[in-house]
Amino acid sequence: MIKKKIHIENAVRKLRFNSDEMTQQGLAELVGVSRQTIVAIEKYKYTPSLDLAFKIALAFDREIQEVFFIN
Amino acid sequence: MNIKIRNTLAEIIGALIAMTWMWLHLTEASIMTIESVSKVLAQGIGISIILIIILHIVFNILSSIISGQYEKDIDDERDKIYELYALQLSSVIFGISIVTTLVLLGWFNLSINTGLIVITFACFIGSIISLFLKIYLYRN
Repeated sequence: MIKKKIHIENAVRKLRFNSDEMTQQGLAELVGVSRQTIVAIEKYKYTPSLDLAFKIALAFDREIQEVFFIN
Repeated sequence: MNIKIRNTLAEIIGALIAMTWMWLHLTEASIMTIESVSKVLAQGIGISIILIIILHIVFNILSSIISGQYEKDIDDERDKIYELYALQLSSVIFGISIVTTLVLLGWFNLSINTGLIVITFACFIGSIISLFLKIYLYRN
């Protein structure tokens, strides 16, 4: 059993800038959440559900492990 | 200040005003009949609901005028999780207050009027504390 707390990091900010400098609002509208939720995800203050994580990965046309990973 | 914090503040202010109104109308609760105490409490709950709706509208109009843009209120999974935390906290506070009131009614001769008032105020206080928790979660 894994007892160690997992700290999930992400590349959302980097991928946004690589996608024609997509705005936080633009990404939020694409995946159906508020801009504040995207801000919280980028600051690692909120870990999204699997459903939202997949939607974000799809928005960047990437595999989920390229967007969310454990460092 | 984002729309979630603004709406939560509106709810806190509405609840506080309604509690103050009830408190001022219950200064002589010990000599009031149970019917009149119940009326004041029911009116207080009604006032809080109306006030919260009015304050939501006023806060959003003021914010739109100040910022010059309309902010949509989108409820996503993060809001639902925070809502759940707040609900859990207010349920715990309400539960503790119910048990305490029943113990006081059963063993310490608390009047039924005071019991009603304590339960209603505990509900409001639980709700206000849970709203502060929501603000804390949104700000962090």
